[in-house]
Amino acid sequence: MEPRQPAAVTPTVGVALITLAIAALPLLTRDSYYLDVATTILMNLTLTMSFRLQVSTGQINMAHISFMGIGAYTSALLVTRLGLPFWATLWVGALIAALLAVPIGSVALRVSGPYYFLITFAFSEVVRLFFNNFFEDLFGGPSGLVGIPKPGRLLGMTFNSKLALYWLMAAICVVVVVALVRLDYSRFGLTAGAIRQADPVVETLGVNVFQFKLTTFVLGSFVAGLAGVFFAHYRQVLHSSDFGLEPMVLLVVFTVIGGTGSVWGPVIGTIVMTLASELLRELHHYEILVFGAVLILTMLFAPEGLVALPSATRRLLRRLFGRATEPAGARLAP
Amino acid sequence: MLLELRGVSRRFGGLLAVSDLSMAIGAGTIHGLIGPNGAGKSTAFNLITGVIPLTAGEVLFKRERISGLRPSEICRRGIARTFQATALFREYTVLQNVLIGAHLVAARGLGPALFWSRGYRERERRARERGRALLSSLGLGAVAGRVAGQLPHRDQKALALAMALATGAELVILDEPLAGLTDQEKTETTNVLRRLKEQGVTVLLVEHDMKAVMGVCDTVTVLDHGVRIAEGTPREIQANPAVIEAYLGAEEPGA
Repeated sequence: MEPRQPAAVTPTVGVALITLAIAALPLLTRDSYYLDVATTILMNLTLTMSFRLQVSTGQINMAHISFMGIGAYTSALLVTRLGLPFWATLWVGALIAALLAVPIGSVALRVSGPYYFLITFAFSEVVRLFFNNFFEDLFGGPSGLVGIPKPGRLLGMTFNSKLALYWLMAAICVVVVVALVRLDYSRFGLTAGAIRQADPVVETLGVNVFQFKLTTFVLGSFVAGLAGVFFAHYRQVLHSSDFGLEPMVLLVVFTVIGGTGSVWGPVIGTIVMTLASELLRELHHYEILVFGAVLILTMLFAPEGLVALPSATRRLLRRLFGRATEPAGARLAP
Repeated sequence: MLLELRGVSRRFGGLLAVSDLSMAIGAGTIHGLIGPNGAGKSTAFNLITGVIPLTAGEVLFKRERISGLRPSEICRRGIARTFQATALFREYTVLQNVLIGAHLVAARGLGPALFWSRGYRERERRARERGRALLSSLGLGAVAGRVAGQLPHRDQKALALAMALATGAELVILDEPLAGLTDQEKTETTNVLRRLKEQGVTVLLVEHDMKAVMGVCDTVTVLDHGVRIAEGTPREIQANPAVIEAYLGAEEPGA
């Protein structure tokens, strides 16, 4: 594919770097706090990358977090009520999220822009209130669903310790990263970006835009469902507010600050912002205020996100020092 | 007949933008659609390509009914179009622009894009090769790697045509392909249209430049207020009193 992304980051190099970093971390520290932060980063990364998959076609799906919730509650109930093993419910939870995404996406994707934003937001509130107010003996109501067991044994290994859970999340995350990076660098990613730029033109060039957007919606929901199942058995407690507006806003903030124009944006955004969130822990509920301010500043001064900072800096330097670094327009030469 | 419109109408509220329009376009011809501003030419294009639904009538392509299909399906059957306001993927390179519609060679669906099999990569390589060849044939070979939004107007027009041709369409529908071009560029473009005809591509075009239309078209259809008022060879059209009335009469002096 042509260099739609920064030329230095080929998919292979990018994925290799991420995999190396994930594999190296337990060599540096086995401290349970750091492992917890790292696991949270990986969980957030599967969410931001699958969210950005939809943003790449121009859809801001404010219900993305709800599909994480659907995966989480599905698995938690199947394990606690029916005694199914985690290894089965991991797939069932994600599949249920994907299946529900078909009718919901089919309705929401009939509209676009601000209307799509509002419809998905409304849906996410319906889901949250449903988990909070209905079937209290199932979902646990306002006090939450408790007593969810850890994943347990598979292939002779027990996934109960912080380190084992980190490796489990790492495996899920690497598969998701490889799949979504490949999609982005393929014809699929090229078409997604074209839809974002000029939706009706893509349609008249022979691409069923509705079907394409629905595919990204369902695939994104599947990945969110995976993250949700892991979340349920990692935290072992579920509250409806885990899948409400605040975590959804954080998801948007992480993705936008990293940059939605590149598949690597969510990677940068998630790492930087999850770490920032840990450092700002003392602020409790004021944290989201700080994030809001950071989001506004990003939109104003670096709308392409952190991932575009190197090229933005280069452009600035070039403007300051004239043609000393590179002749104008050289970047665009064939 | 390659394309046939049978009693096609489109109503916008109280306005009948296209009224009971019937016309037929033979394979391998260049067919002009002309008429004063607001005559319903662009609406007719949107009806043929499925961008807006018909109120009445039907459209047949290669004897199959295509009205009611999605625009993407109509394109896959062999009709591609350009837009009056040149529509491109401005952030993409020229080559990437023509790759979007390259369905003839490209693999479809999610699987190939995930697994990057040898077959998938081979198809993508061929799509790029064909794209480059197409761009060269339209004089865009040298700018294939440039960002489309930064091209001069002439090249953007040519690129829009290239994108339509990349779909492998048998019929290309061009909405004002000469608008904003210099005389020399107009001559170049009409030569391209003649060459397409030689290659067997059928062309339907809306254009305001009468000299060019009369010079390049085999057949011309004239619309006024959504109604077909004349059809024939350029020579017949130029002598038709109803056409002269529509253009020079009450409508718009100097149009």
